[in-house]
Amino acid sequence: MKILIVDDSSTMRRIIINTLSRIGYTDVVEGENGKSGLEKLGQGGVEMIITDWNMPEMDGLEFVKTVRAQNAGIPILMVTTNAAKEDIVEALQAGVNNYVVKPFTPETLKEKIESLLG
Amino acid sequence: MDQSEIDALLAGGGKPAKKGKAASKAAEADRAPAPPPPPAPPSAPSVRAEPHKDGSGHVISELDTVTSVTERESNKVMDQLDQISRLVSRQQQLITDMMRHEGAQSQGVQKAIHEVMTASKEIQDKVFEAMDLMQFQDITRQKLERIVHHLRQIHDYIVDLLGTGLKSDSERPSISHTIAQTGTTPDENKAHADAVIEAFKTQKKG
Ligand SMILES: [Mg+2]
Repeated sequence: MKILIVDDSSTMRRIIINTLSRIGYTDVVEGENGKSGLEKLGQGGVEMIITDWNMPEMDGLEFVKTVRAQNAGIPILMVTTNAAKEDIVEALQAGVNNYVVKPFTPETLKEKIESLLG
Repeated sequence: MDQSEIDALLAGGGKPAKKGKAASKAAEADRAPAPPPPPAPPSAPSVRAEPHKDGSGHVISELDTVTSVTERESNKVMDQLDQISRLVSRQQQLITDMMRHEGAQSQGVQKAIHEVMTASKEIQDKVFEAMDLMQFQDITRQKLERIVHHLRQIHDYIVDLLGTGLKSDSERPSISHTIAQTGTTPDENKAHADAVIEAFKTQKKG
């Protein structure tokens, strides 16, 4: 199971990668914004996406919309500081399957990933 | 600009009488409720003049430096935590080997080794907890970016108003617009997000 992690914070990417490895997912590719996320996705094999919202170059919302235009099925989890109700709804409308607000606990991330894959 | 206008700008909801492009862009980012604005084009060309290095421009660049330095230093802490984690894993492997050793089969020795293993697992858990707490770096950075964003608005507004001086340098696109609403506990964040998702799904079904 290859997972694409898109976040402009390298610290945050490491935290997510650590959590994933603790629950058995070690095949990970990284992007630092939506644009590089699309590049990594284009290289193939990605089965799930975990993306931030606030990023330079291309933000997470635009990234999700672009991905959804090409791929309706891939599970997408958004992990972001944006916590307003209207943000969450906007992301869901754009096509994210689930949503985690930072800061999160590893249990939350685990639960959300498992529900996406379940 | 009077105090109420400055306050309105700082609160993020202000609509000063005379607005520069930066201010209107910022007001958009500050989000009125629906309808959602279209996503910003990637790397929109900057219409700003040369960045300046005095006054608020200096503060802005200082804050930018703080955010990049804290990210770099946070990564060093993560490196150390990674290393501790690897060492503890190695230690656990050694303890497991020790348990199997023929000279360690007495009940007392096995009990002692078990206790060492339990302590080692506790250390590992604490290392993971410390890694998770490093999320503060990203969250603090975004709070600083928001402050920088407001400073740019104020600075550029004053430049527009006086008709003299240079606009601030272009900023990172896509700053967090609702970060002020975060900072509660992770459990509260989760409960809030889950409730919105649940309502959205129910509405979609109905
Ligand atoms: Mg970000």
